[in-house]
Amino acid sequence: MSYERHGRGGGYRNKRNHYRDRDDYDDRRRDYESPDDKLKTAIIKLGEVDPIEELPRLEQQIRDHVPRNIPILSEAFRIGVTEQPYKIPFYAALLRLLHNPTELSIPGESPLGRLVLEDFWKGFQAYLDKVEWRETRLCIHFFAHLTVARLISTDSMFALLRSFTSVLDEFGVSHGRAKRAALCAGEGLLLAGPVLKAASPAITDEIITAIQTYADSTAQEKWLVSPSTRISNQMMPSDGTVELLDILLSSLVTLNATDFKDTENCVPQPYKNNEEIDSTVLTPYVLPAVLVPPEVIEIDSMSTESGEESQVKKDEWPEFFIRLFPDDVSPDPKSPPGYIVRTALLDIIDIFEVNRKECARLLLEYPKWNLPGTFKPKPGAPVESEPTPGKDWQLESTIIETVLGAYLILPESSKKSIYYIALITELCKLSPSTVGPAVGKSIRKLYNSLSDGLDVEAARRFAEWFAVHMSNFGFSWVWKEWVPDLSLPVQHPRRAFMRRAVEFEVRLAYHDRILKTLPPSMQSPDAYTIPEQAPSPAFEYDDPTNAHHDAAVAVLNLFRGRAKVEDVISHLDSLKSTLETSEDGHINVDSVVRSIVVQSLLHIGSRSFSHFLNAIERYLPLLRNLASGGISGSGGSGNPEAKADVLTAAASFWKHNRQMVAIVFDKLMQYQIVDPTDVVGWTFLNGVAVGQLAELAGPMNLSAFEWDLLKGALDKANGRVTIAKRKVAALRKEDDDARARSKARADETMEVDAEPKESAEDAVPAVPEKEVPQVENPAITTALKAFSSLTKEQKAALSRTLEGFVSCLAPSPTDTNANPHARTVITEAAWENRGNWGRDEWNAWETWGWYRQFCRAYAPYLRTYSNTLYAVSFSRFEHAKDPAADLLKLVWNIATGQEP
Amino acid sequence: MAHVVSPLDQPSNYKDSQTRVDRQKQNDLLAKSTTLYIGNLSFYTTEEQIYELFTKCTSPEDGGGIKRIIMGLDRNTRTPCGFCFVEYYTHAEALASMRYVSGTKLDERIIRCDLDLGYKEGRQFGRGKSGGQVRDEHRQDYDPGRGGWGAQAQRIEIERRREVEERYADAQDGPGAVAGGGGDWKQENVSQVEKKKRARSPEDEGEGDSDVRLGQRPKMDEEMEAERM
Repeated sequence: MSYERHGRGGGYRNKRNHYRDRDDYDDRRRDYESPDDKLKTAIIKLGEVDPIEELPRLEQQIRDHVPRNIPILSEAFRIGVTEQPYKIPFYAALLRLLHNPTELSIPGESPLGRLVLEDFWKGFQAYLDKVEWRETRLCIHFFAHLTVARLISTDSMFALLRSFTSVLDEFGVSHGRAKRAALCAGEGLLLAGPVLKAASPAITDEIITAIQTYADSTAQEKWLVSPSTRISNQMMPSDGTVELLDILLSSLVTLNATDFKDTENCVPQPYKNNEEIDSTVLTPYVLPAVLVPPEVIEIDSMSTESGEESQVKKDEWPEFFIRLFPDDVSPDPKSPPGYIVRTALLDIIDIFEVNRKECARLLLEYPKWNLPGTFKPKPGAPVESEPTPGKDWQLESTIIETVLGAYLILPESSKKSIYYIALITELCKLSPSTVGPAVGKSIRKLYNSLSDGLDVEAARRFAEWFAVHMSNFGFSWVWKEWVPDLSLPVQHPRRAFMRRAVEFEVRLAYHDRILKTLPPSMQSPDAYTIPEQAPSPAFEYDDPTNAHHDAAVAVLNLFRGRAKVEDVISHLDSLKSTLETSEDGHINVDSVVRSIVVQSLLHIGSRSFSHFLNAIERYLPLLRNLASGGISGSGGSGNPEAKADVLTAAASFWKHNRQMVAIVFDKLMQYQIVDPTDVVGWTFLNGVAVGQLAELAGPMNLSAFEWDLLKGALDKANGRVTIAKRKVAALRKEDDDARARSKARADETMEVDAEPKESAEDAVPAVPEKEVPQVENPAITTALKAFSSLTKEQKAALSRTLEGFVSCLAPSPTDTNANPHARTVITEAAWENRGNWGRDEWNAWETWGWYRQFCRAYAPYLRTYSNTLYAVSFSRFEHAKDPAADLLKLVWNIATGQEP
Repeated sequence: MAHVVSPLDQPSNYKDSQTRVDRQKQNDLLAKSTTLYIGNLSFYTTEEQIYELFTKCTSPEDGGGIKRIIMGLDRNTRTPCGFCFVEYYTHAEALASMRYVSGTKLDERIIRCDLDLGYKEGRQFGRGKSGGQVRDEHRQDYDPGRGGWGAQAQRIEIERRREVEERYADAQDGPGAVAGGGGDWKQENVSQVEKKKRARSPEDEGEGDSDVRLGQRPKMDEEMEAERM
């Protein structure tokens, strides 16, 4: 595949204008810089050319700067450390230099470096108080280097690390908090190990054991979020993926075995170039004791009528990274140097999310900040250092593996998917000839892993990345190499991937464009890779032989003539009675009328998304009338059957364009024609029938498309609760502020009016505040009511989803459309036999995968209702011996944090 | 992280010369904006393609989503002229697009996003003399994606073009020409009258906007979109 640099295609030719205004803007903002600011900038920019060379010059610049301004210096160090963590060893070296005495220094006076460190500490304390974990952790890196440089006492460094391991012992500590605390302690030890171990092997072991104990307690969570575990087996595969705390631990254990001798082979320690400080002349700095602030519990969580709380704090899970390359291409993340490299790259990816272009540049410049010989030199660049044995890795492969690893974290990545995708695009643009091949190899590796049970959500994201990436690089993928896989069953994950990737590509481009990128054998309809036709509307009544063709044309003409809603409704009433007489009970007249109306309206709006919005906005009252089952003024939330008919008609009209199905459903929910629960229920019953590849349908199951519909509905329900909650909070605050203001005014008036110091009783306000009836602002009452309705809807949508999964995966014997393999695919023996699986087995397997994703992604919401939902969906299995039910419950219990 | 690199989600220096707000007010509005101006589109790119890419920046679990897309049209021919507005429900989504989508390709062209004050009636039309965008007035090069193409074009491109040219033939101007996209969730069983009123609440700008602006539109053509590509 080819990755061209910028510059092909018309758009680039306007480059002269491209960023012109942006540059002007920056120029104007470049205000006058004070000498203090200049010094700060110089510190932040340390190492633009060569950090080691620049250190003495920068030291001198700092010393020469008058008047001395410690806060500015420590702020510059703080920015350097927390925003450019790859420079931390060099900032430690700079601070070490600032500890040297000069001919000007007065004996007994603290060296400049110490003053900066003392002030830096205050900044660290502030990060910790605000529980800003990343900044806290990076400051600990800095302290760890300073400990090795003998500027910080080993005892106080131990104490600092132990205050983080003590978090791991907190009762009911959340995984997010424990993970971050473990990283603080573990990474601090990893870097400061050489001197800490010498000071106390016992405490060193104690820290490692504390992290190990915590990590051991997360086995079940790991099973649920590893992208390569089996549905059938709780065993963790040993290769292919690595977990964050596990790789920290393996690195620590490896280093500990040789007393951290190897730390110096993992990370630069430029401060070691200076002679060791005599601790009798300058005693090392003693870090003050700290306490990690307790976990923030949302006090403001609002109770709904049923007493159930609504919270949306995202859950955190063990983090698994997919391994794409062998150890000689990218470092083994379980090894200390691999851990250091991976953490450094992840920090860059995290910190520079605000500017993906700069982020890409910094990632490609990373070798400069690690030890020489770690990465292969750029092709054509002069070889400056001998490759280090066991290292000499490929930078681009390492970067791509790390970015994709972060992208494929389950249940969701920490940033939006599109960030990682756009970052890889920038990397390719910066260095097409080196990054391109790494991307190609990653795609092949991920594609191959699809046969070995790559998690369905990871597979979905892989397809999304693939499509957007190809959209940025001319859709030039060598599809030919996957042609042999067309002999696999039609729902095999590899074929599902091809189909999905092609569908996403078509959405970003157009059918003919993508069709011509495929080899002929993939173009044919029986390859089930790309539809024969471009995605177009399918107006059922267009065909003059359709029984209701004339009726639909009449309705269509009313819409075309922009007839008034009342007129359409009265026309429909007469149509109904005509149909009732003529069809004589052979059809469901209501359903037919709904289908005619919805399809005709969508037909009017089929030209574009905007046309669609215009069409439904014009006839909202009609649609509401339709969704309520024609019972005018019924209010409430409509008629479930009528709403299902509306959805069916929409899905049928757009059956060749699944993107439009999702869009129409989204807006029908937005305009409150249907509720999220309707969409969930509809999807489980009808979702598989959408799309022109009829071969794919079969018995009840869930593929990525249906999952997207479910997710759209659940996110809508949850989002509405979020908004409603925010609204109540805002109104309450407004109200409180108003109260406080009027109270203040009253107090003021009283102080002026009332005679001062009359008697104690008189000083009390005539009506004590408590007696003022707490009449809630009517706006708050309304907002609370909305919140309560929306919470109910949220619960209903979640419950309907769980029900849907349960009836798919543990169907009752009377279920007519049940997948016969729902129960059979979950055994280990079945998985080993997957080479013989057909369509239905793979369908069942994928549905199980989406059930896992549902539980882990929506865990924070599910937990709120876990008891009710469990009772509704699982109590029927109380005494049944049913492995499918047991597995459903196991996943549920792990996700909702119940004892299994 | 503004100390080390400048974030990509800052608005550009563009100032819509037809708006009456001053620079300060404009900055305040942009700091809350949910609307993006998208430039350098191919004339043939559809709203659905735009939707597909920009939906990747939405946060539905936070009450977000794509509210509407307003395709920029040639004032005279009513055909797309290479720009559009994407309106989200939340500001964060607009910022995400600035960070992750601006400067990437859609339909094989590098597109550019800019935070925008929000759609106002009439802004869906190009302001160039010929009816398109001003930048295309001054463009010297041959750009197949933006109308600069001829007989050598591929057959499928002709077909695509025909579809596109017809698509917006019915485009209206004036109040209510552009749909709102649906507002916040409202409690049911409010009367129909109230519902109608809601549809024109201030947040659905454009709908309730008066005709007054129309009079001044065509005068100040040249200077605007040029800067903005």
